[in-house]
Amino acid sequence: MSCSYVLFTNNPVIQNEVINDSLKIVFIGGTPLDVLKSARDSVHLGAKLLTHPLYGNLRPHQQPYRTILAAKENEAQKCDFESLSFMEKAIEVYESCCDRLILPEDLPELLRRDYAFVDFELMRESFSRYRLI
Amino acid sequence: MKLELHKIMVKRLVWGEATTVRDGVLYVNKQELISLISEDELLGKVDVDLAMPGESVRIIPVKDVVEPRWKIHGKGQVFPGLVSDVETVGSGRTLVLSGAAVVTAGKIVRFQEGIIDMSGPGAAYTPFSETCNVVLLLEPAKDGMDKHDYETACRTAGLKAAAYLARCCKSVKADKIVAYNHADIKNAMWGHPGLPKVGYIYMLQTQGLLHDTYLYGVDVKKILPTLISPLEVMDGAIVSGNCVSACDKNSTYSHQNNPVIEEMFKRHGRDFNFVGIIATNENVTLADKKRSSSYAVNLAHMLGLDGVIITEEGFGNPDADLIMNCWKAEQLGIKTALLTDEYAGQDGASQSLADSCPEGDACVTAGNANEVIVLPPMNKVIGVVEEANVIAGGWNGSLAADGGITVELQAITGSTSELGYTKLGAYTI
Repeated sequence: MSCSYVLFTNNPVIQNEVINDSLKIVFIGGTPLDVLKSARDSVHLGAKLLTHPLYGNLRPHQQPYRTILAAKENEAQKCDFESLSFMEKAIEVYESCCDRLILPEDLPELLRRDYAFVDFELMRESFSRYRLI
Repeated sequence: MKLELHKIMVKRLVWGEATTVRDGVLYVNKQELISLISEDELLGKVDVDLAMPGESVRIIPVKDVVEPRWKIHGKGQVFPGLVSDVETVGSGRTLVLSGAAVVTAGKIVRFQEGIIDMSGPGAAYTPFSETCNVVLLLEPAKDGMDKHDYETACRTAGLKAAAYLARCCKSVKADKIVAYNHADIKNAMWGHPGLPKVGYIYMLQTQGLLHDTYLYGVDVKKILPTLISPLEVMDGAIVSGNCVSACDKNSTYSHQNNPVIEEMFKRHGRDFNFVGIIATNENVTLADKKRSSSYAVNLAHMLGLDGVIITEEGFGNPDADLIMNCWKAEQLGIKTALLTDEYAGQDGASQSLADSCPEGDACVTAGNANEVIVLPPMNKVIGVVEEANVIAGGWNGSLAADGGITVELQAITGSTSELGYTKLGAYTI
């Protein structure tokens, strides 16, 4: 079965919890900003954002994980400019505090686990909307 | 629809043998309150403490603040769908313990929210330094409990305590009665000819655990935008699902006392015709953001509104919802005024919102949540002061050895409320 959706994440919990034939997972071992840039590059190639790239109520340096769901690249590789606009604005927000970004490995295990959990929880409704969990 | 708020002014809290109010003093039967809250098997150790304005007391980590209210006459009961039946509220008489508040405190996930200082420089930034606070300290019954279940238990505990305190005072005569009338749509359409018809698009945060809001007990992320009477809001129809980002996650108290609604009532019939409220959500998927903004604005259009006030809740991706609501309304000829807050960096030099549009040219800010403040040590801490190091708005090292805390305003409960329930303001000099 070909994948209809692509997920960009640096959250290992999501990588393990969300397994679906129609979903391709791009796991990025890096910062949330790296996740955003990877998603942005795919948007250039025709991926269309399904979830907003920014968190609600957590600044970029307050959450080491980031997860973004998109519809996979279209065959014509036609760029969706609305998606691109959201991505570029989000990257601008992240870059404004890039010197304060935290990496998961810098955090104690319990704290890291809860950040990963909340990142998953904030995506749960979106996954369920697209029948991915 | 008519609602009377029967306000009993509370100026002090004292432990007492029976919970009641007399001469401005709210007496609280501690054991009775603990027993009531402890009925929930999901809660483990429950403790209650009192904090009064001016005391050297710090409450941390705060999850929600609720004003004690109880319906003494009329249909339904406060906090419908959560601690009472789902009957429509917003009419009759509701008793209010004005000046008192229930504050819920404790950990839900490992990173934390919310500081209330009852005195000192931090007190100047939270409206809840001026309320007499009955503080519930909550812990889960066991480790590893489902976090959604535990969040529900914490939320319900605050609502139950608030309803209990007011219910115990239901026979006491009010110090002040404030009556509100809100016309039905038929009469609103004909009322106040010549004045512009104005509504209120009430954005509610709805993104998941600790980022949620409930309307008649329904998770608002699952609704389409809907009409609601401002009087229903006063009776607790809208309840906070606890908080992430204490400065601008609207507490239940600030919903109950929404100053936008209060001000619109004051100006109704004088400056404009306040037709009604459209409650809408702030979901994570872009499809939901587009759908809800289009739907909310279409409701405003169908009501024939000339203008809308739009209040945001939270920041980050909700900025996109705010902007969609704004430009979609303006394109239909509906004037907008936006109420938000800012994340402009500690130096105030960064872009304040993650999104913007040229139509958003009437915007009120509740302040920069990144502003840094130093909170001196307090004589007493209710809760766990070490959480300052993992609080949103703080950082590892926020807590000094002497108990002082250096944080951004984001950590202070209600400091940049986007409903305007805040102590920050600007004055022309």
